[in-house]
Amino acid sequence: MAAKLRAPGFYRAGIMMLGGVALATGLTWLVRMTTGHATYSHYLSGDAILSVSLLAVPLAFLIGIGGFDYWFYWAAGRPTRPEDHSGHGAYSWKDYFRVNTDHKVIGVQYTVSSFFFLLVGGLIAMLMRAQLAQPGSHFVDANTFNGLFSVHASLLIFLFIIPVFAGLANFVLPLMIGAPDMAFPRLNALSFWLLPVAGALMLGSFFAPGGAFADGWTAYAPLSDNAPIGQTFFSVAVQFAGASSIMTALNFLVTIITMRAPGMSFFRMPLLVWANFATSLLVVIATPFIAASQFFVLLDRALGFNFFNAAHGGDVLMYQHVFWFYSHPAVYIMMLPGFGIISEIIAVKARKPIFGYRMMAFSLLAIVALGFTVWAHHMFTSGMAAWIRIPMAITTAIIAVPTGIKIFSWLATLWRGVLHLDTPMLFALGFLTTFTLGGISGVMLAMVPFDIHVSATYFIVAHIHYVLFGGSLMTIFAGVYYWFPKMTGRMYDERLGKWHFWATFIFVNLTFGPMHILGLQGMPRRVSTYAAKFTDLNLFISLASFGLGLSTLVFFYNIVTSWRGGPRAIPNPWRGMTLEWQVSSPPPIFNFDRVPTVVGGPYEYGVPGAVHGIFAPAPAPAAAGAAASVVRAPSQ
Amino acid sequence: MTSRRSLALASVAAVVAVAIAVAISFWIHWFPAQATTQAQNTDRLYHVLVLASIPIFVLVVTVILYSVWQFRMKPGEELKDGPPIHGNTRLEVFWTAIPTVLLLGIVGYSFVVLRNNEKKPAREIQIGVTAQQFAWTYQYPPSVTGGAPLNSTQLYVPKGESVEFSLRSKDVIHAFWIPAFRVQEDVVPGITTHWRATPIRLGSYPVVCNLLCGLGHSLMRSTVHVVTPAQFHAWITSQQSAAASGAGGLSTTGAATG
Amino acid sequence: MEAASISHAAVHDGHDHHGPPAANRSSRVEPELLGMLLFIISEIMVFGAFFTAYFFIRIAQGNPWPAPGTSLPVQVAGVNTAILISSSFTIHWAQTSIKNGNRFGLKAGMLTTFLLGCSFLFIQINEYANIGFAPQDAAQQTIFYSLTGLHGAHVFIGLLLLLFVTIRAFRGHYTPEEHRGVEVPGIYWHFVDIMWIIVYTTVYVL
Ligand code: HEA
Ligand code: HEA
Ligand code: CUA
Ligand SMILES: [Cu+2]
Repeated sequence: MAAKLRAPGFYRAGIMMLGGVALATGLTWLVRMTTGHATYSHYLSGDAILSVSLLAVPLAFLIGIGGFDYWFYWAAGRPTRPEDHSGHGAYSWKDYFRVNTDHKVIGVQYTVSSFFFLLVGGLIAMLMRAQLAQPGSHFVDANTFNGLFSVHASLLIFLFIIPVFAGLANFVLPLMIGAPDMAFPRLNALSFWLLPVAGALMLGSFFAPGGAFADGWTAYAPLSDNAPIGQTFFSVAVQFAGASSIMTALNFLVTIITMRAPGMSFFRMPLLVWANFATSLLVVIATPFIAASQFFVLLDRALGFNFFNAAHGGDVLMYQHVFWFYSHPAVYIMMLPGFGIISEIIAVKARKPIFGYRMMAFSLLAIVALGFTVWAHHMFTSGMAAWIRIPMAITTAIIAVPTGIKIFSWLATLWRGVLHLDTPMLFALGFLTTFTLGGISGVMLAMVPFDIHVSATYFIVAHIHYVLFGGSLMTIFAGVYYWFPKMTGRMYDERLGKWHFWATFIFVNLTFGPMHILGLQGMPRRVSTYAAKFTDLNLFISLASFGLGLSTLVFFYNIVTSWRGGPRAIPNPWRGMTLEWQVSSPPPIFNFDRVPTVVGGPYEYGVPGAVHGIFAPAPAPAAAGAAASVVRAPSQ
Repeated sequence: MTSRRSLALASVAAVVAVAIAVAISFWIHWFPAQATTQAQNTDRLYHVLVLASIPIFVLVVTVILYSVWQFRMKPGEELKDGPPIHGNTRLEVFWTAIPTVLLLGIVGYSFVVLRNNEKKPAREIQIGVTAQQFAWTYQYPPSVTGGAPLNSTQLYVPKGESVEFSLRSKDVIHAFWIPAFRVQEDVVPGITTHWRATPIRLGSYPVVCNLLCGLGHSLMRSTVHVVTPAQFHAWITSQQSAAASGAGGLSTTGAATG
Repeated sequence: MEAASISHAAVHDGHDHHGPPAANRSSRVEPELLGMLLFIISEIMVFGAFFTAYFFIRIAQGNPWPAPGTSLPVQVAGVNTAILISSSFTIHWAQTSIKNGNRFGLKAGMLTTFLLGCSFLFIQINEYANIGFAPQDAAQQTIFYSLTGLHGAHVFIGLLLLLFVTIRAFRGHYTPEEHRGVEVPGIYWHFVDIMWIIVYTTVYVL
C-alpha cells in the first residue's frame, strides 16, 4: 500500500489533493490573521479557502499523478535517469489512465476526453433548448440558464474544439513528418493532464455556492468582478486550459521545425502540418492575453484591485480589448487545424494533388497575420472610439480573401477528380457548404451598420454555430472517421457513418438556420425567456436540436462499437501517400524503426510513379532491436 | 451525357437557383417594423449583402454538387486517380482579385451607410438614458422640456426629429437596443456613449437590454413610443405636472394646472 | 511497404524496449533553445497584456501618473535595476567559465547571480512595504503593483531555475561539451532582466 501511495498515480494524487486543501486552509488562515482580520471568526473564510484551493488542489493533483516527477529529479540535481521509455506506449486500456509520454497515447487521451466534453456540452445545449422551447421560466430559472450557456460555450471551446484538434494532430503530426515522437514528450503528457483539471473546474462550478459561472464564455467585466464564486472557477480553469494550449503549441512548433524526416522540406509538408504550424503560432502569441484578462478579473475579485472599477479610474473596455485580442485569434485556432484535415481528406478522396499547394500554405499564414488585426469587430457596439471601427471592418472583410482562396482551391481539387464519397469525404463536402454559409454571415457582420443591429442577437448565435459546428465540428468528424483506422486499428461502420452525416447535415441547418431570422427580428442572445412572437421558431429550433443530439448519438455508438469489434484495418485503407499511412495500423511503438526519407510532395496522386517517402530495406531480423537507431535511409 | 452539355445544364441550374434564392430573399420578412431613417438605410444594406452573397454561395454549392454528380467514383474506378493538376496561376489570381474588389466595394458602401446613419443633423433633441440592473430610466433635459428637466421611466420620442440618446450606466455594462430603430450601443460604466436615430413611423416598439447584465437581463425591457410632436409636448407637460404635484407643487405652472 | 509494416508489427508486439531511432535533425537550432525562445515570446505577450492595461489606465483614461498624493521611489528602484543588470553579467561569466572547463567560475558565477537576484527581490518587497499606497486604492496603484508584481513573479521563477542550476553545478553536473542546462535558463534570466528595464522605464521614469 505504501508503495502504491508513493508511486505516481491516482492514489498519490488523492492524498496530495487532500494536502492541497489543508495547505489552502492554512495559508488563508495565516494571511487573514496577519492582515488585520481582527476577530478569530474572521480568520477562516470559506470563499478565500475555496479560491486558493482552486489553484492548490489541481496542482497537487498534477504532482500526485506524476506530471512533474522527472523535473523534480532534474531540479534536485539527482542524476537524471537515462530515458528508458518506460512511460511510452500503451499495452492495456489502463495505460491510458497514467502519465504516458507516447504521442499516440496522448493523442488518443486528448481525443477521447475532448469527446466526453462534447457529450456534456451538447447535453447542456439540450437543456438550454428545452428551456427555450417556450417563453417563460418553466424548466430552469434565469440563474441556472445563464450558467448553462456559459458552461456550454466554455466547455465546447476550451475543452472540446481546441484540445480535440491538438489531440488529432498529436497523433498524426509526428507520423506525418516522419518523427519518432514529439520534441518534448514529458511536456506533452503534462499538457494533456491539465485538461481534465480545467474540465473538472468548469463542471464543478455547478456545485459552487451561487451556482455556475453565469456571465457567458466572454465573462465581461465588471459583471464578472462581482459575480458569485463560480466565476473564479472559470477564471482558474481558463488558466489551466490556456497553459495546456501553449505547451502543446510550443511542442508542435519545435517538433515541426527540428524533427522533420530527411528530405521533408517545408513545401513538402502535408497541409495538416502547415495548418498546425500556423495554429501554434496563433496560440503562442495570443493565448497569454486571455490568461492576463482572467488574472485581472481574479485580482479584482480576490484582492480588490481596480482594473475594472470605473469609480477608481479602472477601464471597463480594456477587458474587452484584452479578451478579444485572444478570442478572435482563438476562432482561427478553432478553424485552421480543421482546414488542414480537410486538405488531407479532399486530396486523398478526390485522388488529385491539392490545387495550389503553396497558396494553401501562404493563405494559412495570411489568416494568422490578419487574425491579429480584427479583434475589435466584436466591439463595434461596445462604446469604444468610433474611428477604430473603420480599420477593423476593412481587415475583417479582407480576411475572407485568404479563406476564399482555400475554399476555391478545394473546389478546384474536386474538379475532375475521382471522388470517393465515403463518410470522411461527405463530412468534408458538408463542411464546405455550411462553413461557407457561416463565413458569409461573418462577412455581413463586418459591415458596421448591419452589425449595429444584429450584434448580440441570435444572428450571432447562428453565425457561431455555422462556423463552429458547420465548420470546426464537421472537420473533426471528418478527421476522426478518416484516421479512425490508423488510431484504433479497426474500421468504423460505413453505413452508420453515412447516416450520421446526413442526420447531422440536415439537423444543423434546421437548428441553426432559423436563428438568423430570429436575430434579425430582434431576439437577443443570452436570454432565458423571450417575447411571444418568437415562440414558433424557437419551438421548431428546439425540436430540430433534439434531432441533432440524437444524430450525435449515432456517432458515439458507431465509434464505441467499431473500436471494440470493428473489422481489423489494413495499414493504408485510403491509399494515402502521406507517411502515417505507410506504417501499420495502429503504428508501431516508435512510429518508424527506420527514419523515412522524403523524396516528393505529399499529394502526387495521378502522377505516374510518384512517391512521397521511402524506407530503407528492413534490417536483418537479428539486429532489429539493437540496430534500430543506426540504420538510416540513404540520404538523397 | 457529354461534359459540355452537363456543364451547360449545371450553369442553368445555378442561375435558376440564384433566381429562386433572390426571390425568396425578397419574400422573407427579415426585419421588424422599419421605424427610422437609419432602419431604411440598414435594411437596404442588408438586402445588398444578401444579393451579393447568394451567387457566391450558389457557386460553391453548384461546384460541389456538379463534382459529386460527374466525378464520383464509378464501379471499376477503385484504383483510378484523377489528372495531376497542381494549380493554375491565372485562376488563382482571379479568385483572389475578384473577392477583394467585391469586399472592398461592400465595406465602402457600408461606410457610406454608417456615415449617413450617424451624421449629426442641424436640429436634434437630446434624451438621456440611464441603465441599472434591471431597469431603464430616461432624462429629458431643459432643452427638450422647455422647463425643468424631467426624469421618467417612459420613453417618448417625437416623429420626424432626430434624437440623440446619451447612455450612462450605474453598475455593469448593458446595451440600449431598439430593434425597430436598428441601432444599439453598449451602456458602459464610467463613460457616456451615444447613438442617434430619426423616427419616421408612429407606434410603440420594444426597448431591449442587449448585453448580459445578470439575473434580470432577460426581463430588462421597456417601450419606446413614437408620437407626433404635438403629442410629445403634451406628454412632456403632463409628466412635468405629475412630477410637480408629486414633489409638492413647487413649480408654479404645475400648481396652476394641478 | 506491406512487408515493412509486418516487420514493424513484430517489434511492436514484443515488449522489449528498444529506444526510438534517433530523430532526424532538420534544423540547426537546438530544440531546447527554440522551445525557450518560443516560450519567451509567450511571456512577452503576457507582459504585453499587462502593458495594455497600463496603457488604458494611464493614457486612454488620462489618469494622472503617479496617482495624486503618491510618489515612486525612482532612485531606490534605479539601484535595484543596476543590481539586476549586473546579474546578467555574472551569469554570462558562469556560462563562459563552463565552456572553458572552469568549474570554479561556474559555481561562483551561478551563486553570485542567485544572490543578486535574491537581493533584487528583497529590495522590491521592501519597497512594497514602505511605498505608502496599496493596489486597492485606485487604478494607478493597481497597475503599478500588477506590473512590478508580475515581473517579481518572473524573477521568482527565474531564481528557482537558477537555484536548480546552482545545485546541479555544485553536484558536478555540466561539462565544456554539455552545458545546455546552464545556457537555456540563462536566456530566461536575460529576458527577465530586459523586461525589468522596460518596466522600470515605463512605470518609474516616464
Ligand atoms: C470557428 C470559428 C469562427 C470563424 C472561422 C469565424 C469567422 C469569421 N467571423 Fe466570426 N465569430 C465566431 C467564430 C468564428 N468566426 C464566434 C464564436 C463569434 C461570437 C463570439 C461571442 O460574442 O460569443 C463570432 C463573432 C463574429 C463577429 C462579431 C459579431 C458581434 O458580436 O457583433 C464578427 C464581426 O465581424 C465576425 C466575423 C467573422 C468573419 C468576417 C469571419 C471570416 O473569417 C469568415 C471567412 C470565410 C468566408 C467568407 C467563407 C468562404 C469564402 C469564400 C467562399 C470567398 C468569397 C466570399 C466573399 C467574397 C464574401 N464573427
Ligand atoms: C464548438 C462549439 C459549440 C457547439 C458544438 C455547440 C453546439 C450546440 N449549441 Fe451552442 N454555443 C457555442 C458553441 C457551441 N455550441 C457558443 C460559443 C455559444 C455562445 C455562448 C455565450 O453566449 O456565451 C453558444 C450558445 C448557444 C446558444 C445560445 C444561448 C443563448 O445565447 O442564450 C444555443 C441556443 O440554442 C446553443 C445551442 C446549441 C445546440 C443545440 C448545439 C448542438 O449542436 C449540440 C449537439 C450535441 C449533443 C446534443 C451532444 C450529444 C448528444 C447527447 C449527449 C444525447 C442527448 C440527446 C438528447 C436529449 C436528444 N448554443
Ligand atoms: Cu441590462 Cu442586460
Ligand atoms: Cu472575431
